[in-house]
Amino acid sequence: MLSRRTAITTLLGAATAGWENIRASAADPIRVGTILSVSGPAAFLGQDMKDGAQLAVDEINDAGGIGGRKIDWIFYDAQSQTQQAIAEARRLLSNDGVDIIVGGGNMSGIALAIAPMAEAAKVPFVSTEGASAIVNPVADHRWTFKSTVDDYLVLQRAADYFDKKGLRKIALLADTSGFGQGAAAQLKIVAKERNLDAINESFAPSDTDLVPQLGRVRDAGAKAILCWTVTPAGVVFLKQAQQLGLDEKLALVHSYGFVTGKYMELAGSAAAKLLLLSQKFVVGDQLPDSDPVKPKIAVLTDSFRRRFNRVPNQFVAQTYDAVYLAKMALSNGGSDREKVRETLENIRDYKCASGIFSFSPEHHSGLAKSNVVLVNWANGRFNLVDYA
Amino acid sequence: MSAGSASATALQLLFAGVGNGAIYALIALGFNVIFKSTGALNFAQGEWVMLGGMIAAAVAAHADVWLGCLVAVVIVAAVGFLSERLIVAPLKRPTPMLITLLSIGLAISTKSVVMLALGKDPAGYPGFSGDAVLSIFGARVPAQTLWIIGITLAFIVMAHAFFERTILGKSLRAVAADREAASLVGINVRHSVMWSFVIGALAGGIAGTIITPLTFTSYDQGGLIGFKGFSAAMLGGIGNLYGALVGGIVLGLLETMAAGYISSHFKDAVAFIVLLTILFALPSGLLGRSEAERV
Repeated sequence: MLSRRTAITTLLGAATAGWENIRASAADPIRVGTILSVSGPAAFLGQDMKDGAQLAVDEINDAGGIGGRKIDWIFYDAQSQTQQAIAEARRLLSNDGVDIIVGGGNMSGIALAIAPMAEAAKVPFVSTEGASAIVNPVADHRWTFKSTVDDYLVLQRAADYFDKKGLRKIALLADTSGFGQGAAAQLKIVAKERNLDAINESFAPSDTDLVPQLGRVRDAGAKAILCWTVTPAGVVFLKQAQQLGLDEKLALVHSYGFVTGKYMELAGSAAAKLLLLSQKFVVGDQLPDSDPVKPKIAVLTDSFRRRFNRVPNQFVAQTYDAVYLAKMALSNGGSDREKVRETLENIRDYKCASGIFSFSPEHHSGLAKSNVVLVNWANGRFNLVDYA
Repeated sequence: MSAGSASATALQLLFAGVGNGAIYALIALGFNVIFKSTGALNFAQGEWVMLGGMIAAAVAAHADVWLGCLVAVVIVAAVGFLSERLIVAPLKRPTPMLITLLSIGLAISTKSVVMLALGKDPAGYPGFSGDAVLSIFGARVPAQTLWIIGITLAFIVMAHAFFERTILGKSLRAVAADREAASLVGINVRHSVMWSFVIGALAGGIAGTIITPLTFTSYDQGGLIGFKGFSAAMLGGIGNLYGALVGGIVLGLLETMAAGYISSHFKDAVAFIVLLTILFALPSGLLGRSEAERV
């Protein structure tokens, strides 16, 4: 039985909600909040990701907005610090009253901190970061979605490659950030499922010496090293692996967090034998013509180059796609957040620059394993090595 | 694992540890020189290391690596000089606490200026002998590690000669021993503070230029490396020239051995636990003397 107080609250709530709808349905802008790190250790990714989001927002606004409503884009710099990002997320949710959050600080640790806040406020959150735990278990993450591929699936993809090459004993060298340790947790599951003998070593993102870890991996007899980081320590890994002569004997693989030309240039000859697990973006022009993502990549590359005078990378696509996913949901749901959430959850086979997105009530991480390829670095660019 | 490969592994870790330790020692030396003359902890020390690496990388992108490093060291020494002249010298009452606090501000502004002027991307350049790697009894050691160890030792020997043999060095030591007595015999105390900043910055700049080929640097790396150098200074005994060398090498070895033989997950923790233990048992560090304070 409804108590009187509940009834009154419900009525009041309904009235306020109605008022909200009337207020919002006018030509009020739709408020989209974005938190990325354009300073601090993750800054080198943040600028590209910010520009990707900016391009998408401007394209949408130039084309008339979403259902006649312009996007009011609110951007905050998380400075690669979780504490900072939490304060900014609070500001987006309570002061700015955003309709959706796109982008979680370009660090998995930050996105993991923002997700429960978005859940509590019942505001949809499209994360552009990697770790599976951002959206899993889905039962606790009804409002959180992710425009990147799951670590679990990337590791499955890596296992496919190791199978193909007959490599059983592999070592994961992950940094101590949310991104690295997320992968370490997933590898335990994947190793069991795929019958891999996995060793786990870690390093701090600011580490400048990985000789001890590499020595342990070598002495343990690993046949492949999978490095999981987005920080310059990944270059130190390559240099020191070369110094120890490991690049001649072992397969060296970096995760999709390391697919940036700047790092490859810093690593120089130490990156010659390296493979990287990557989304298709960086090798867009080398994909077979039958690939449905290929034209999407070409379009984004073209418009990004015209706008920012430089070549876009996978991280640009990550936020660019996330904004378009948000647009798709908002054009159906408007300021009705539950409807926006439902629309996101029901997006199927949406072709974007970083792959084909399909969400479902069980799956809030939109990209399948088939969106991951292996690439190398040669002749000053990334090249397709292993397609499927 | 055979005995041969076990000893090669140990040697490998030894070189890596001593190489890292040499860098900590150089930074600790910078801390100590400024501490001796002012009684203050200079938190900009780590930023000077970063500055050296960043400038050398910017110059080396267009010129020779040696030229880049030389230019960087000169500029960093000049930054140390200007920092003292513009920030410390004008103080009416330069208390250690005040200088320490100012150095924090100096660190933050150095970091911001580097970010704005040289960008946020990590930077690096080839080593002094290219990317050459030597094989020493089964351990593979980058030539740059030997450069680092050699240059650090040379710098410390030169610093020793400077403080023992030159008039300026002796006057700096006199000021460190007793400011009032030194000023009574006619030594310009304020000048000695200026020189200590130049020497501190020189040590930081050199550390930055020789380590960057191995570790790369970016505008925000100064804080952590400065902290490691500070720990080395505390470990060796703050204010002691040879304490810096001992503290640096011990810390570098501890970190590397802990990561190699115990677990890489606890690398930083192990080094700092040992540091804390030593500071509890020997508060003035390995080579420090406890001072009797007049009350």
